[in-house]
Amino acid sequence: MGAISFSAVDKTYGGRAAPVRALAAVDLEVGDGEFVALLGPSGCGKSTLLNLLAGFEPPSGGRLLFDGGPVAKPGPDRAVVFQEAALLPWLTVWQNVTFGPQVQGLSRGDYEPRAAEMIRLVGLDGFRDALPAQLSGGMRQRVGIARALVMDPKALLMDEPFGALDAQTRLTMQQLLLDVWQRLRTTVLFVTHDIDEAILLADRVLVMSARPGRITRDIPITLRRPRSVDDLTNPDFIRFKATIMADMRATGH
Amino acid sequence: MSTVVLSAEKSQPAPRASLGVSLGPTLGRAGQLVAGLALPVALVAIWQLASTDGSLFGGALPSPDRVWRAWLVWAFGNPGMGLNPYSGTWWDNVVFSSIRVAKGFGLAILVGVPLGIMIGWSRAVALAVDPTIQILRPIPITAWLPISLAIFGIRDFGAIFLILLGAFYPIVINSMHGARGIDRNWIRAAMMMGASRTAILRRVVLPAALPSIFTGLRIGLGIGWTAVIVSEMVAVKSGLGYVLWDAYYVGRMEVVIADMVSIGVMGFLSDRLIVLLEHWALRWRRLQSFSA
Repeated sequence: MGAISFSAVDKTYGGRAAPVRALAAVDLEVGDGEFVALLGPSGCGKSTLLNLLAGFEPPSGGRLLFDGGPVAKPGPDRAVVFQEAALLPWLTVWQNVTFGPQVQGLSRGDYEPRAAEMIRLVGLDGFRDALPAQLSGGMRQRVGIARALVMDPKALLMDEPFGALDAQTRLTMQQLLLDVWQRLRTTVLFVTHDIDEAILLADRVLVMSARPGRITRDIPITLRRPRSVDDLTNPDFIRFKATIMADMRATGH
Repeated sequence: MSTVVLSAEKSQPAPRASLGVSLGPTLGRAGQLVAGLALPVALVAIWQLASTDGSLFGGALPSPDRVWRAWLVWAFGNPGMGLNPYSGTWWDNVVFSSIRVAKGFGLAILVGVPLGIMIGWSRAVALAVDPTIQILRPIPITAWLPISLAIFGIRDFGAIFLILLGAFYPIVINSMHGARGIDRNWIRAAMMMGASRTAILRRVVLPAALPSIFTGLRIGLGIGWTAVIVSEMVAVKSGLGYVLWDAYYVGRMEVVIADMVSIGVMGFLSDRLIVLLEHWALRWRRLQSFSA
């Protein structure tokens, strides 16, 4: 279930004339049920790494395994939560959440109770018939999370999902994700450039550096679970933050 | 890039007046109607008052009252009686032309929308088909008349072919642009959720392209009316285009003008029909404000 393994994975964009090396010999192991944050500046290749695992793009070299098998194409076992939610704007909340199981040809009786449960879990019970344009950014991202969870994925791939939200909404969403994860314990790969967010959410923070993108540090976050946004002021939290910040300065971020 | 405005922050009502003095909310719906009708009413009044002996320009342009009376006979007169060959044939000719437009336009949609979406979606289809369309497109539909006549003769399908061809280009090109301008993450999201290629085309690409497709439909329908008139003037012996040319030949200018107005009204009404359909199909785009 849900284990991720990268060995010497390379990704190069562009033609032979001006190649851009986005990822260089990336090694990465994520265990089943682990919550791992990829932390780095924009352009360091952290989203590229996630896209390779999602199957949106093929790697240029190396070996990439998910759940023991190679990644060939996108699929509902690796549910993606996009930065701007990427909901289909002509579908209601309910239709967006049930889109996946429906196109997979599952029977209504199987997916409708679960869809209702996930909508409740992300706190959107009263908004089933709303269109995405009628929702705030935070609410849209809640739909994005429910849409991913309804497929019962082995891993959740989250690409800066709270990056576009205001500070207050972001805290609410982080708490929501902590609560949801506490219940479901899915493997999560979470891309962010926010140090606080990475420490608060993850079991391990992988720090990335740019040009070419590589993982420079692997820091286990031993804060006790269940966590809450109150941990942001916890002395242990501050210690982790100091370590990571010092480390990022040293490597020239 | 998507042209769809998604966030409440970005949605703003369109300004009422683009330049100069805004009429603002002081004018109600009725007031706007009056304001819009003032100019055409004034023009018709001037045309009427400036006419001498029932016409302008030495008999070339009959006055509005003569046009009106000609239309009454054309619409409600006894068919096949007396010296007026047009008497009582208006409705039949309107129907002839409309059915031709509907057939040609319908075929243009059936061919143009799927083809446009395939060109916009698949690079291979674009490479295979797009150059041919771009080469043929500059040829005006009127230039196809002789070929159409030679192949189909003086028959209905000659007109339908021309309408199909004229409406096809804007429909195929706008469908193509619509399919190309899709947010990449919508496709990725659908793939991640396990949608097949056909499911993506049908449930993501088609709805996402609809705003652009409707633009193509409206332009295409306008060209369809042009095509039906041109081909009826030359290639068939019925319809508003046939009456237009025939009335000109026998010097019945009041029928010519009544015919022109009829074409305008039909074009307007059929366009409203598409707009109504668009309004319904794209109702999700109008709900842009946060209502809770």
